[in-house]
Amino acid sequence: MAPDAAQRANIGLTPEEEAVLAGSEGPVSQKVMRTVVQYGEALGAERLVDISGDGHLVIAYAIPGIAPSLEMLEELVAAGLRTKYPFTLDPRPPLDYDNWALDGWQVEVLGGMYRDQARYEDLLLQLGLRDVDAYTCRPFLEEVGNIPQRGDILAWSESACVVYANSVLGARTNRNGAIMDLLCNIAGKVPLSGLLEDGARRATWRIDVRTAELPLPQLLGAAIGRRAMAEVPLVTGLNRFLSADLDAPTRDYLNEMGTACADAGAVGLFHVEGITPEAVEQGTDLLAADHRTYAIDDDVLAALSASYPVLWHERDARPEKCYLGCPHISAEQIDWWARRITAALRERRQARVKVPTTLCAAPQTLARLGAAGSALRDLEAAGVMLSAGCPMQLFDNDLAAGSAIITNSTKLRTYTNARFFPDHRIVEILVGGEI
Amino acid sequence: MRLTFKGRPVIPGNVSAAAAVSHRGFNTYASFFRSIHEPSATAICADSGNEDLYGRDLADKVICVPGTTGSTSGGAVWQRLIKMGNAPKAMLFANAIDSLAAGGLIVADLWVGRRIVVVDRLGDTFLESVEHGDEITIGDDGEVVIHRAGGATSRRAAGPASSPARPPTGAEDVS
Repeated sequence: MAPDAAQRANIGLTPEEEAVLAGSEGPVSQKVMRTVVQYGEALGAERLVDISGDGHLVIAYAIPGIAPSLEMLEELVAAGLRTKYPFTLDPRPPLDYDNWALDGWQVEVLGGMYRDQARYEDLLLQLGLRDVDAYTCRPFLEEVGNIPQRGDILAWSESACVVYANSVLGARTNRNGAIMDLLCNIAGKVPLSGLLEDGARRATWRIDVRTAELPLPQLLGAAIGRRAMAEVPLVTGLNRFLSADLDAPTRDYLNEMGTACADAGAVGLFHVEGITPEAVEQGTDLLAADHRTYAIDDDVLAALSASYPVLWHERDARPEKCYLGCPHISAEQIDWWARRITAALRERRQARVKVPTTLCAAPQTLARLGAAGSALRDLEAAGVMLSAGCPMQLFDNDLAAGSAIITNSTKLRTYTNARFFPDHRIVEILVGGEI
Repeated sequence: MRLTFKGRPVIPGNVSAAAAVSHRGFNTYASFFRSIHEPSATAICADSGNEDLYGRDLADKVICVPGTTGSTSGGAVWQRLIKMGNAPKAMLFANAIDSLAAGGLIVADLWVGRRIVVVDRLGDTFLESVEHGDEITIGDDGEVVIHRAGGATSRRAAGPASSPARPPTGAEDVS
């Protein structure tokens, strides 16, 4: 079509890319390349660049309308296409029903919603999914092993993973949407634009953290995201509390903070003074000349927390369920919950929690803990269920509409009717059974 | 009254339909998640956080937004809406199109085959001028014309400081 051809002149392609676009590798490869080229043109990219590392893609669940259609995946598989590098996926849907204390009708609805799940997973394996357990939103944990290198060019999706890969690992990826992520990884190419370029990685916001203590990471992240929206913040003042060497607690903290930055706004990259790699290297030189400044103190965070509406049918209901681990938590975080819950139960001479609770982590994290420590045994003894699934997928189709669900995740709160409480309050509620 | 704007045709085409306008970022998944499960003639906006569009039918409309926000899982929604028969006719962006919207809409165009026309970079003045229900005509060169019956003034231009005789900056008033 003439207008498309006119646009195409705006992006420079290598002879190899031109050939694929002309059909040298077959009609389906041609269509994949055409899609990526048009994506580049829309984003104003001058050219495409090669992807240099494993992918991480967002859609792990085969709900029509959210997942790519099976017909499309079958077309790609039939043409013999797969991603240039392996990829990991977001967590599976909650089909391990025993770990979610579901009612019969909910199991029935879920079974219908995910009737194509097995076929979908099989197709994704053929398209480059790393292995049958490569499902988590913490792919960069050591035990999972999808850890991008500094400077890697990627086409990732899942906003929480994009922001961590960019910010903490120093890789380069835009916030790609579902399906386009897969097609870019099949082409092995991504448009050179946005966060792939130095200019867009400079900070246009300086966020000054002035709290008395280390704030809750997801609450701080939500406050940052609401202010920065799709821009890049440089966070100052956090290095009073966090280790500069990016140790495990710091990585956990920044993962939770980044997740909330990304869902409360559309942040794809943040810098933390003295801690994240580009901030360590460039310091306040990262700040754009016309950057704006915003201070976050304890009052700002308290006001934000108080502003969250209660979307339960009954405001004063006894909590029916608790979901922890959105995003998936690390072995160290699981250990923290095990110690805190066990201690609180012991204090009340009580054996088990009073609110059915599911804690979510990567399959590899649960396997590592199961082999090594007592944390999982302690949690199971306390009545806490463990799953490698994703609680968010329970809320489609009104499966949990209005239910009295509590969580420590501002992300889960954003997308569902779950009610947010800080970690120490969650422990009290689980043990006491009421708010 | 007619107001004419010129944007960049991202997915070009010639269409006309009524406008639905959001002055805040359009959360694709939150808006459409109830409209993608079965074939339907309507797509009622389900995003309770969007006071401009919540509860409005977006099927066959020209949706006018600054940009899109929300989950990266929103990319597949466009493909599905086309298959369910309740997609909008066009998306008009005041800003340069964002990566989430670009990816989803281009995939839908090339892999499903029914076009949702997309024009971006129409400018803030466009979004300040267009109102719900305005008849919009889009040309494949990125020209967007707002037709409004009865010579009504734009919502933003109707205050005491402005007059209908002075079109918003960047717009060519040919009424």
